[in-house]
Amino acid sequence: MQKADLTSRDIAELGRVTELMEREWSPCRYHCPVHADVRGYIEAAAQGRFGEAIDIIRENLPFAAVCGRVCHHPCETNCRRKDVDDPVAIRHVKRFVAELQGAEGCTVHKPPAQDKARVAIVGAGPAGLSAALHLAKLGYRPTVLEKFPIAGGIPATAIPRYRLPLEVVQIDVDWIRAHGVELITGVEVGKDRSIQDLLGEGYEAVLVAAGLAASRTLPLPGSDHPRVHLALDFLTALNFGDRPDAGDDVLVIGGGNVACDAARSCVRLKPAARVRMMCLENEEEMPAWEWERREAEEEGVGIIFRRGPVKVILEGDRIVGLTTRGVTRVFDSEGRFDPQYDDTDLSDLQCDTVVIAIGQMANMGFARGSGLKAGPGGRLEYDPATHQGSLPNVFFCGEIVTPPGSVVEACAHGQRAAKAIHMYLSGKTIQIDDSLPPYIDTIQPETAEKVLKVCRQAIPTDPPQRRRKLFTEFERGYDEPAVLAEARRCMNCGSGAEVLTDKCAACLTCLRVCPFDIPVVTDVARIQSTLCQACGMCIAECPANAIIARGRDVGELVQHTAAALAKMNGREPKVIAYVCGHHAGAADWGGRVEGVEGVAEIYLPSTARLSSAELLHAFENGADAVIVVACPDAADRYPQTADRTRRRVNQARRLLQEAGLDGQALQLLEVADQGRQAIRAALAEAAGKTSAS
Amino acid sequence: MNEPVSKLQEILDAGQFAVTGEIGPPKGTNVEPALHEAQQYLEGRVAAVNVTDIQTAVMRLGSMAVCHLLLDRGVEPVFQMVCRDRNRLALESDLLSAYTLGIRNVLALTGDHVAMGDHREAKCVFDLDSVGLLEAMARLEAGTDLGRDAKGNPNQLDGVPKFFKGCCVTPCADEVEPQIIKLEKKATAGAQFVQTQAVYDPAAFEKFMNQIQHVKVPVLVGIVLLKSAGMAKYMNRSVPGVQVPDAIVQRLTDAPKEDRAKVSVEIAAELIRAMKPMCQGAHLMTLGWDHCVPDIIQQAELA
Amino acid sequence: MIVAERKPFDEIVEMVAPYKKVLVLGCGSCVTVCLTGGERQAEILASQLRLAGRKKGLDLSVDFDCITRQCDREFTENLKFDPAEYDAVLSLACGVGVGFMSGVLPDTPVLPALNTTFYGAGVAEGVWEEYCHGCGDCVLAWTGGICPIARCSKSLINGACGGTNDGKCEVSQDMDCGWHLIYKRLQELGRLDELRKMRPPRDWSKNRSGGVRRLSREEMAEIAQESAE
Repeated sequence: MQKADLTSRDIAELGRVTELMEREWSPCRYHCPVHADVRGYIEAAAQGRFGEAIDIIRENLPFAAVCGRVCHHPCETNCRRKDVDDPVAIRHVKRFVAELQGAEGCTVHKPPAQDKARVAIVGAGPAGLSAALHLAKLGYRPTVLEKFPIAGGIPATAIPRYRLPLEVVQIDVDWIRAHGVELITGVEVGKDRSIQDLLGEGYEAVLVAAGLAASRTLPLPGSDHPRVHLALDFLTALNFGDRPDAGDDVLVIGGGNVACDAARSCVRLKPAARVRMMCLENEEEMPAWEWERREAEEEGVGIIFRRGPVKVILEGDRIVGLTTRGVTRVFDSEGRFDPQYDDTDLSDLQCDTVVIAIGQMANMGFARGSGLKAGPGGRLEYDPATHQGSLPNVFFCGEIVTPPGSVVEACAHGQRAAKAIHMYLSGKTIQIDDSLPPYIDTIQPETAEKVLKVCRQAIPTDPPQRRRKLFTEFERGYDEPAVLAEARRCMNCGSGAEVLTDKCAACLTCLRVCPFDIPVVTDVARIQSTLCQACGMCIAECPANAIIARGRDVGELVQHTAAALAKMNGREPKVIAYVCGHHAGAADWGGRVEGVEGVAEIYLPSTARLSSAELLHAFENGADAVIVVACPDAADRYPQTADRTRRRVNQARRLLQEAGLDGQALQLLEVADQGRQAIRAALAEAAGKTSAS
Repeated sequence: MNEPVSKLQEILDAGQFAVTGEIGPPKGTNVEPALHEAQQYLEGRVAAVNVTDIQTAVMRLGSMAVCHLLLDRGVEPVFQMVCRDRNRLALESDLLSAYTLGIRNVLALTGDHVAMGDHREAKCVFDLDSVGLLEAMARLEAGTDLGRDAKGNPNQLDGVPKFFKGCCVTPCADEVEPQIIKLEKKATAGAQFVQTQAVYDPAAFEKFMNQIQHVKVPVLVGIVLLKSAGMAKYMNRSVPGVQVPDAIVQRLTDAPKEDRAKVSVEIAAELIRAMKPMCQGAHLMTLGWDHCVPDIIQQAELA
Repeated sequence: MIVAERKPFDEIVEMVAPYKKVLVLGCGSCVTVCLTGGERQAEILASQLRLAGRKKGLDLSVDFDCITRQCDREFTENLKFDPAEYDAVLSLACGVGVGFMSGVLPDTPVLPALNTTFYGAGVAEGVWEEYCHGCGDCVLAWTGGICPIARCSKSLINGACGGTNDGKCEVSQDMDCGWHLIYKRLQELGRLDELRKMRPPRDWSKNRSGGVRRLSREEMAEIAQESAE
């Protein structure tokens, strides 16, 4: 659905309004490589529905727990809130829900029958396991072969534990395995078994997701010295509990994330040592994520820019330094890596240990005895569109065929490969539709300034002096109140108002009540999704019932209320309380707090979209009294809500009185921001009053 | 100048200072007291007596009947006609009726809105406005009416009336220019005399009179008898275009109760004396205190 | 647009009292805009009637629906509910819609839930004022665009009466004097000469006095006739 206008007929055909969310994505979802429904899970988290939140995440992202720790979070980078104050700390919300729920706390979607073809997957990293999961969900029987004794790939073997504890990786691995993914560790394909062996054993396809398991090295004179380490081996050794030999003056060659990891690991190995990084790039060109570099520097790592290594200087059997030369450029005019040096600019850097962290490469050992053909430049033949190599039943995914990337990118690629395998094994031509819906553009300054500013929740982090001594995690996660507060900063981009053009009378009411001045009325009202703040004010006020909220079914609240009243059957009087939950705890939203006898509390993100018609419907559905618990002025997340809520309650009271009911059966309490005890006390008092009258 | 059709016209044509009075018909058929008052206090002292037409939209006995009864008793009436209650058919017809009953002076008024009166659910007519009513009179005088025959020609009357046509104006309106413009239109439509809304400020009146020098129609300044300070304050608050200066309010406030009528008369007489040189007559509205008229006339040195 | 206000609830209840099954029908035009007769108001009135019916122990079932305009036959095609299945239709349209629907639905009584009040414009959020009287003979060209028929309580045509007071009408202190507005506007425009012109008695035959009014656009009416043949 791409057309701009929507009519009530379209809605009738859609069935569920949630499908409207597919018309246009929020930028967080669009930019997420697996396109996780970020807005959806942040909203679930904001309402304390943590189980639901993790399920929404895992719908698209198998490595939810790992990504909660190490994701490069393009969702946050593209969060529209950045133009208001700061982006929502999406990764930390994810971390909280993923680790709170663990593997057992997530729903497993195992199909009733897994009787389709067997598929062998080489490598239990993010790409391989994501592919395996996808295939398992489709009813295939995937087997993942891993050369290391543990699954998880780089996150398990090479990301330092202070950034990613192993038990966090295990959450994701366990959950994936619960879907019927067979895992065999300690088997190296190409050595222990060949791809041909696997195909002969009854696997109908093989997916190679072996990753970039080897560090690139440098042909430097002296680099065969035992204190010249390759970064990946160095980090893997550390993760498996070894203590590689490092001296008091370490020089890490490289400016990427792995180089940062290696340098920061060296700091932790010997907190008294001098650790420096040296890279070809200048400050701006340095490839490491900005926060990786910042954290390294905080921990005392020095960075030397624009130098290239020439040779390791040895004095006897000791390393005493590294000869370096100046770099005149790193990239050519078209941005390709093509460093040029100034050989007249030579200097020596003191050091006693060198770690080479200039990138990873594939270990092509798996291909031994496979019959796979190599293409030009010694690379394997590979078609990015179909994931196939020179043999039609051997597929590739992950970093072995893509540029180096992050965990979430590997997941995305694994999922895509699984789709290709599914098509192949179903006898179809492999054609994958990579097209995406458009996404919502950045927020306009005039709108941004009307959005209530709310500080990003601070992330508790160990001070550098403490963390540089420890391999344990240094960044603490949010606690529950912080997660709720942070998730409630989400602006719900894309779940805003949608005008049904056939019903709109162009009456201008939406334009008049919008606290953000968003609607434009030409022939009919139009509410631009890029601007709408999803408060729902116009939905509650539209006299034509012509505005709906994307992702929310019409009449949702009325049905919810009817269900709550039905549950109270036999008890009199029945009181419905509509509570603004913007300041409420997760337990309040989840109904896990001590309530008031005879009162069913229904939580809303704000009373902005609670209409007077909905208040009447509650009475129709059997409520003897209705209490609206709203925020007072300025405490609501949206401007003008308190005033509108008051007017609606007054209007509904008049309407009730006209119909011969007691207007006092509808109460408004403006205490929603004052905490559970105050709300409970106010509810008890109001419920007492209404039942007395 | 045409032959005068009434005593009032005769006096004004002669350039004499004309004084008119005013009575309101009763709500009911008991018309005698009003007639008696008019006869006792006004006859011989004023040139003519206005008879109000369902004043302030409070339903009363009709103006035409009372005018006729006054004529019977030798008192010359001014027949007030408002546009609120009759369409042009009824207005024209009533004008012919009035003429046949001997009524000659007619004062054309818009009339207060029904919302002001005691029949708030009544339908307002306002088919003609006061200018239109003056025009209707002129048309009747010319032997035709406002309608047309099947060929589109003016209808011819069988017997033609002749009136002395009046209108009113508010000299002290907060915005006087529209009042003057409308007065000009009334004069163009045929108005031959003007009775004004109550005036309490001679200086303002003088200014107004200077502004309407070009309107060659005699003006009778309106004098409403102030019965108390309360009434003065009420007029300031609620009667459009009427301003009672503070000094007058103070005089009424300071007056002992038994002297109040005396002070009222004094004030009215003083006002007339002050404004007499500026205009051609005075219209006394005593609101039931007709017995004061002789004193006012005497003190105003009009007798 | 046409401005209307809802009838007192008790009057509506009395109207529907003889019926058991009522369809509340909103109108998506003028009355939606003035917040009295759109789908939301239909929903609310239906809700109120059900609540009142339950309170009084009546056997009353009420649904609501809304169409784009009740003053054109074709829009009834879009009804979600069939009026024939109801004892009465309670229309939230202006009098035009109610009257027209009565003709469209010959077997079902159509009852008015609104009082049609005037032709007006929104002068502030939630506030509408009368601007036109539908008199059939527009004079706005010489009154500075302010209608003396609609906006003078007495529909005078030669200027203000003596009831004008500080710019307000004698009828109410909350009501502007239409002729004061006209005077001010003409003064601003430098067109007071328009105010000085004599305006003869109006031709009210184009207003209600001419009987029931009708508009026939020959070019369209003829086509319709041909296609009917």
